[in-house]
Amino acid sequence: MITVKDIRKRYGSFDAVNGVSIQVPSGEIHGFLGPNGAGKTTTIRMIAGLLKPTSGSINIDGADLALEPEKAKAALGFVPDRPFIYEKLTAFEFLKFCGGLYGMEGPALDARALELLDLFELTRWKDELIEAFSHGMKQRVVMCSAFLHHPKAVLVDEPMVGLDPRGARLIKDIFRVMAKKGVSILMSTHTLEVAQEMCDYVRIILGGKIIAEGTVSEVLSMAGEGHEALTPVFLKLTGGSGFQEIPDAI
Amino acid sequence: MNAMTPLPGLRKGFPFLLLPTYLGTANRAKRREKGDAVRSVVFGLIAVGVAATLFAVSFWLTWQLTDYEELGEYLLRLGISWLFLTFLSFLAFSALVTSLSTFFLSEDLKLLLAAPIPGTRLFYSRYARTLLQASWMVLAFLTPVLLGIGLARCAPSSYYVTVPLVLAPFVVIPVAFGCIVTLMLVNVFPAKRARDILMLTGLLFAVAIVMLLRFIRPERLLSVRSLPDITAFFATLQSPITPLLPSFWAGEATFAPLMNRTGWLYLAALWTTALASTLIARMAYGLLYFEGFSKSQEARKARFSRLAFMDRMAGWLPLSASSRALLLKDVKIFMRDSTQWSQLLLLMALVAVYLYNFSVLDLDRIPYMGRVVRNAYAFVNLAMASFVLSSIAVRFVFPAVSMESTSFWILRTSPVSMGSFLWSKFATGFVPVVFFATFLTVVANQMLGVHPFLKVLTAVAVVFMSLALVGLAAGLGAQYPRFGAENVNQIAGSYGGVVFMVSAVAFICVEIAMLAWPTSIFLFYDFRNIPVPTPRRIAMVVGIGAAFSLSVAVFQVSMRRGIRALTALAG
Repeated sequence: MITVKDIRKRYGSFDAVNGVSIQVPSGEIHGFLGPNGAGKTTTIRMIAGLLKPTSGSINIDGADLALEPEKAKAALGFVPDRPFIYEKLTAFEFLKFCGGLYGMEGPALDARALELLDLFELTRWKDELIEAFSHGMKQRVVMCSAFLHHPKAVLVDEPMVGLDPRGARLIKDIFRVMAKKGVSILMSTHTLEVAQEMCDYVRIILGGKIIAEGTVSEVLSMAGEGHEALTPVFLKLTGGSGFQEIPDAI
Repeated sequence: MNAMTPLPGLRKGFPFLLLPTYLGTANRAKRREKGDAVRSVVFGLIAVGVAATLFAVSFWLTWQLTDYEELGEYLLRLGISWLFLTFLSFLAFSALVTSLSTFFLSEDLKLLLAAPIPGTRLFYSRYARTLLQASWMVLAFLTPVLLGIGLARCAPSSYYVTVPLVLAPFVVIPVAFGCIVTLMLVNVFPAKRARDILMLTGLLFAVAIVMLLRFIRPERLLSVRSLPDITAFFATLQSPITPLLPSFWAGEATFAPLMNRTGWLYLAALWTTALASTLIARMAYGLLYFEGFSKSQEARKARFSRLAFMDRMAGWLPLSASSRALLLKDVKIFMRDSTQWSQLLLLMALVAVYLYNFSVLDLDRIPYMGRVVRNAYAFVNLAMASFVLSSIAVRFVFPAVSMESTSFWILRTSPVSMGSFLWSKFATGFVPVVFFATFLTVVANQMLGVHPFLKVLTAVAVVFMSLALVGLAAGLGAQYPRFGAENVNQIAGSYGGVVFMVSAVAFICVEIAMLAWPTSIFLFYDFRNIPVPTPRRIAMVVGIGAAFSLSVAVFQVSMRRGIRALTALAG
């Protein structure tokens, strides 16, 4: 499971993240929503071990990220919003390298890499350089690398960006199966329909603070007026749409 | 997909983390791109040529010094010390800049730091990468030089064993120092700001060294008249060499086998310092790295010059709105990118040294030939100015189209023709280049005191040559764009960049040959104080006209082809 306690990230006098706490139990999918610049990616980067929190603690599968970073990271699969891939490697070489980083090797690693390439429909291109891949294909390679080592927790920043409807469907199915098998998934997304469809629990962050959290139905009820979709609730909670000025500007 | 017990982190040693670099290079070699073979041959030949020249020069100098016995040995020892001192400072600076990139700015760090890799292995992999990137050029330079010295002195085999044993710790020490300073620096400044500061400091340092070395006038050594100054000259040379620096130990350890001794003490000092500095760097990494990396991820504050005066100045120019917008965008990006404009500082220093050379050139020592040599120098100067111009063009004008990179779609989807776009790139490069090249030619010719006819001819010629070379660079840059390149150097060193340099050199040679013929006719008659006969005058005009027409033709063909290539790309 993922446990985040009261983390803060301060840049000079600006609090990018201010006292955020998150708990994702095993087998649950949690959504992390918020407008641009609200602090979602900063929070995710801190959980992934890429940014040092100014204060607070992060625990993944029982390991404190600050005290036992290798143990904590070994349990985590991370899919960033703008992933880095070695463009001059083939998809298969890239996955073998990523497996090596997680202590996997030999025929078991080869078999696992091929299994995931097959699952993500990339087998045909496994020996092609990644630089020739489309954005969606690259995104699928990154997903393969994140799931390669059978993570106990998965952290995803904008999972559906660049994926075609078939790819998006596949990811949703994979997340559901993983959750059933006890994996904790924390997903940051702007696609509120996806959050509504997939998540057991959602949190909305604004100005570095969690302003609303609960199950989807609980969050819907927070806005009152019997909303059935997350979008109007999200807009209401995060400060309106700003739509009123559009006609003049256009 | 079972959630199994997590596997432990990276089991393999740190070289595993260098695997992507190796595999990437191997894949690149297997899947050759257009022009790779030509580029390999051209750069291979250049590299072999440079190595052979270095070897020949060091061999010849060392051979000459053997005639002077003790003085020769002293000079050789001093020379080796200076060689290592120069490279020590070069390595330290190079390591500072490289380690900023390898430890903090590399994109793959986001992948590696999210993985369960033990900190020490990540450190050693980045350290090894820094070491290789920062030192390969120094090693490639030192090897032929030290080989030349050894062969000229008929050195014993112990010399050839000692040299690698000296070079290995010698490159490690400044690289460790560079890494430590970078680790501390990034904890104070954001990484990108630290890189700008380092680049600028390094360039100013390089400018100071170039100017210092030139202004102490080493050519005085060749003049008997300046003998009394030589002691002071050597005292100046000896002053920065101190036994406290690793360069001194490396120099002494290298020199010892040439005298049939072994510099054990110096070798021991080098190795122990290299190991200790590596350990200190590792400790500094443990203490400072994650904090520094976190800071390097922070967005840099948008502190920049608004350059509002440029908007006003552009407003006065008779340009269309789109041309003005393109011009302003290019100039502002250039001014705000310190890696771009700071290189001009080094160029200015080289120009100052170049012009200084003419001011101290003593042509009166050859009274009967002075006039001929002076006028011949005018052509050498024209050729030199053109080569400098080509280097500026390949560095600043050729990459202009490729630099649009991922933003190129904005232009492709806007109602701006590819012709206007390329003309804007040409104009942005041409105006400063033509001023610079004309200044260089006119001032140098004035200092040389060449014939007024040549002053005018070369000043006009350099304008035409600027037109052709900038047009060639803009046109070929459009024909061979590299939108995916990571930096300007990659674009300049691409296949198209090599095509430009080869074409530019060929053009300069032909143009100068075409100008030299009518000039020789004029000087022939002028030397004898006879007026040039009319048929000869006509021939001169035709010759000069043909040379200038060649420039215009090169310019027009290059630009047309560039526009056609861009239009095809956009279509």
